Amino acid sequence: MSENFVAPGQQRYLRACMVCSIVMTFSRFRDEGCPNCEEFLHLQGSPDQIDSCTSPVFEGLITLADPSKSWVAKWQRLDGYVRGVYATKVSGQLPDDVRTTLEEYRVTYIPRDGSATELD
Amino acid sequence: MASKAPFQFADDSGSEDDNFNPAPADLTDDETAKSDRRGSMAADNDDNDEDKDEERPSKSASKKRPRDDDEEDENGDEEEQEENDDGEEEGGDVDGDDEEEEEEDEDDEDVHRHRRKRRKDLRSAFFDIEAEVEDEDEAEEDEKDGEEIEDFIDNAEADDIAESGHLNDDRRHRELDRRRELEASMDAEKQAQILRERYGKRASNRAYDEMAVVPKRLLLPSVDDPSIWAVRCKEGKEREVVFSIMRRVEERSGSNNEVPITAAFERAGPNSVMKGYIYVEARRQADILVALDGLSNVYPRSKMMLVEIKDMPDLLRVIKTPSLEPGAWVRLKKPAKYAGDLAQVLDVTENGLEARVRFIPRLDYGVRDETLSTPTADGKRKRPGMPGPRPPQRLFSEVEARKRHPRYIQGNPQTNTWTYMGEDFENGFQVKDILISQLEVKDVNPTLEEVTKFASGSEDGTENLDLKALAASLKDSNVTYAAGDVIEVFEGEQQGVVGKAISVQGDIITLEVTEGDLTGRKIEVPNRGIRKRFRPGDHVRVIGGSRFRDEVGMVVSIVDDRVTIVTDQTSQEVTVFSKDLREASDIGGQGSLGQYSLLDLVQLDPTTVGCIVKVDRESMVVLDQNGETRQVMPSQITNKLPKRRAAVAADRNGSEIRLDDVVREYGGQQRQGKIIHIHRSFVFLHSNTTVENAGVFVTRASNVNTIAAKGGRINNANSGPDLSTMNPALKRNPAANNVMKPPKTFGPDRAINQTVSIRRGGYKGLIGIVKDTTETHARVELHSKRGLVTIPKTDLIFRDKVTGKPIDIYSRSGRGGFSGSGRGGFNGSVGWSGGSRTPMGAGSGERTPAWGASKTTARTPAWGRGETSGSRTPAWGDGSRTVNPYDGNRTAYGGATTYGGSRTPAWSSSAKTPAHDGFGHGSKTPAYGSGSSDPWGSKTPAYGVSAPTPGASGADSWGYTPGASGGSHPFDAPTPGAGLGAPTPAALSAPTPGAYAAPSPAPVSAPTPGAWQGGWGADAAPTPAVGAPTPAASGGYYGAPTPAAYGGAPETPAATGTIQYAEDD
Repeated sequence: MSENFVAPGQQRYLRACMVCSIVMTFSRFRDEGCPNCEEFLHLQGSPDQIDSCTSPVFEGLITLADPSKSWVAKWQRLDGYVRGVYATKVSGQLPDDVRTTLEEYRVTYIPRDGSATELD
Repeated sequence: MASKAPFQFADDSGSEDDNFNPAPADLTDDETAKSDRRGSMAADNDDNDEDKDEERPSKSASKKRPRDDDEEDENGDEEEQEENDDGEEEGGDVDGDDEEEEEEDEDDEDVHRHRRKRRKDLRSAFFDIEAEVEDEDEAEEDEKDGEEIEDFIDNAEADDIAESGHLNDDRRHRELDRRRELEASMDAEKQAQILRERYGKRASNRAYDEMAVVPKRLLLPSVDDPSIWAVRCKEGKEREVVFSIMRRVEERSGSNNEVPITAAFERAGPNSVMKGYIYVEARRQADILVALDGLSNVYPRSKMMLVEIKDMPDLLRVIKTPSLEPGAWVRLKKPAKYAGDLAQVLDVTENGLEARVRFIPRLDYGVRDETLSTPTADGKRKRPGMPGPRPPQRLFSEVEARKRHPRYIQGNPQTNTWTYMGEDFENGFQVKDILISQLEVKDVNPTLEEVTKFASGSEDGTENLDLKALAASLKDSNVTYAAGDVIEVFEGEQQGVVGKAISVQGDIITLEVTEGDLTGRKIEVPNRGIRKRFRPGDHVRVIGGSRFRDEVGMVVSIVDDRVTIVTDQTSQEVTVFSKDLREASDIGGQGSLGQYSLLDLVQLDPTTVGCIVKVDRESMVVLDQNGETRQVMPSQITNKLPKRRAAVAADRNGSEIRLDDVVREYGGQQRQGKIIHIHRSFVFLHSNTTVENAGVFVTRASNVNTIAAKGGRINNANSGPDLSTMNPALKRNPAANNVMKPPKTFGPDRAINQTVSIRRGGYKGLIGIVKDTTETHARVELHSKRGLVTIPKTDLIFRDKVTGKPIDIYSRSGRGGFSGSGRGGFNGSVGWSGGSRTPMGAGSGERTPAWGASKTTARTPAWGRGETSGSRTPAWGDGSRTVNPYDGNRTAYGGATTYGGSRTPAWSSSAKTPAHDGFGHGSKTPAYGSGSSDPWGSKTPAYGVSAPTPGASGADSWGYTPGASGGSHPFDAPTPGAGLGAPTPAALSAPTPGAYAAPSPAPVSAPTPGAWQGGWGADAAPTPAVGAPTPAASGGYYGAPTPAAYGGAPETPAATGTIQYAEDD
């Protein structure tokens, strides 16, 4: 079960979720949604939503084998997410309506594009 | 548990407290509510427990071992908790149990929203027992139930008081409960799959709030965290490796050789320095070897580097990509054809990933298609898009596009938007949405040339350069500081400090503080937070990337880091960044480009010349002879025209003008300027009052009036060409022509200590005392002003100290010159006075010309002085010869003069009668003449002759002259005559009969021929008058001598007459 593996040929279709920064192919987002954020992003089956909430521009891939014990996960605030491949930086911004939705779900949005680190 | 961060412990203790205190309260409530709520409470409890259960397996389902460890930990924790609880309170056990659950919660890293969780915990603390005991297997409840309970508890809490008695029961229940729970966890894996399916998503979603609350600094790695090793891998394959690791992790999970690492990552961006490495997080180095063994492209067996704990956060540092603003400049990376081309951002998509940019297309409109479609020699088609010569940048042309691809173009000519071959074009620019990652955003440094291409594209032709955007894109460019720069710190702790750079090492600048408390201290600052500082008035040079580079100017205003300077060269205000400035030691800036420098005259083409009015880095601006400016490259200049010092032109009045003369335009704008070049009929003038074209303007020579000639060259509008040089008579007698120096006077200048008044110039009318003199000038101490002023002697009127009457201080000395020299004098006079030497005499009437000339030539004056008799006059009168002229003159007077010519002629020479006549004195004159008794009278003519002469000096002189001549006898003054005569004497002196003939008219003439005539009235009017003018026109005096000159004026009866007379004589 290597569901998170993406062959090099498919890597051009990779996108990263702007909320949790998980990196998956577009088709997988479409078929399964975001494993961490589906509750409020509703990516499954809606390419438009995928387009606005995930970004093809990301860098710094992280393989998260054990999110609960990894310091990397903690630092990246990925602890609590599912195992998988994440990105250290995801460029792009969530649309405003999605942000509002996040607030409704009482989910604090952590920008993944580097703007948050500047505040610390 | 060991991996837990400190803050989490803190949290735990917090919740413990919460639990301890309200615990008893809830218990009582529990009692009362027990029966009612039991069922639902139990459900809630169950729910909680099962939640844990399900989560645990869900996380650990695939990796058994770590999970087990966890559980052991948990157990240990529980025991600890229990101990605590026991020690503290009876109800501790209950709490302990509760705690345990909480711990589990957190063990799972499944951190809930705090508040809610605590509530729940409180609840469960009391209801757990019953729930577990009574119906452990009751169906799971959804959250709604839990919430109901929450409400209930909220109410209950308010009134309750603790009753500890029940706690013992609870404790036992709980122990039992816990045991069961443990059992349950044993076979959790079995349930896991089912449970995860049911709850997995929800569970994983609970994390957000918690994470945001924790500041990053509390997340810093500790020794308890796994270590990170950098492992070499094949450059460019970092991502692949990360995915391979992912695959391995997944493949082996659940098996008994799980990959023993917790994470692995790469940071190999295109510009990253971390290429060729992946970073693996694991507890032990050996684990990494196990995990990576056999993976391709990664080399764990080569040297593996442990990353220090303090460096770990840096590995994951993320720097925000600078956001693009519309208007900013970028460079294209992607379509190979446009790689490196400048583009302007029009818009950025909401998600910040794409930008709409416009750039200048490189289209060949299908010209190359044919060559592409024809197979090349080897029978293969050339692949389109192959790097060939790329078409030049050119704005989109609809016409060209239609030529070959009429079908592929559509658009709207009105808005000038087109779609051609699938690309959009607006106003000639190609407009395209491009991923920002495919744009070069940093270090764009657009050049002026590139940017202007965009600017000129605007519809109305106005320059719409957005300097701000340009500035923003230039801002990132490197700032260089040099020792000696005055620097201000505007960021960071040292903000506000001002100092002088002492040394620069890389990014660190050492400052010596020059202001404030730290004065004298040396501090080091990074170059990021500093900027150069200037003050208004500083003289600076523009350096760096600004388009004003190499301009030099003075700072006039400073706003933040924008500095406005007025350039030396063009006096224009330009605004640049302080980083682009440096203190300048030189003035004027770059004034030259190659061999060409500012204000040079250059040949642009065979018929065009121009004056360089601006020198840029690579080009210059030239003002051509037609008054147009054009920008030229040095290569467009044919050659440089050397400055011709000797160049001469004639101004509107025919006066000669030379370089450096100050002239004014006649008509038009009446601009005034100094001549810097004379080319053919054009003069290039330079004025300091205008900044346009560096103050240079061009006009025709015939369109200017002389204001001041350099070196005081006489530029009297009345003076014509120097005819003396054309005078054969004079030439024949070169000796006479030689400029004769005024006889030297010995001893101190008499002028010294004389009281004088000043006749003209800025000091006109002031009175002073001569303190010192030179040949031509006197230093005068003015009564009214302090200090000495230097005034030409010719502008002085010597006055009697007491009476204030004009006097002639040189009168004595004049004598010597007398007779023979007389003539010469006259000639000589030409030499020095430049024509109207007469003025010399000006000062004193008596001296009359001769005098005036005194220095030079006195002769005539001799008698002029009136010392003796008129008789003499004739006597010496070489002048007498003049006779001839007289005749002519006489004629004029006509009958008026009884004296007849006889006499006249006698003194005639001097008298110049005609002059007299003019005034109507005529009658008198003769009278005088005749009445030799009156010395004055007799002299009159003399006067006339002499005195006036000075008059020549200026129109006024006339007036004066009389006064001067004989203060007492205004009339005698024959003034007018004098004026006229003035020259005459000179003329007289001129040996040549002809000569003198000439004179007579001459002087007079110049001024007002017409007037004269009128004056003479019907009488003789014509003759003399006419005669006079003519020569006058020619230039008066000089002309006089030359018979030829006369001839030139045949009309003049006088003239002719004269000649005849002469012959007669």
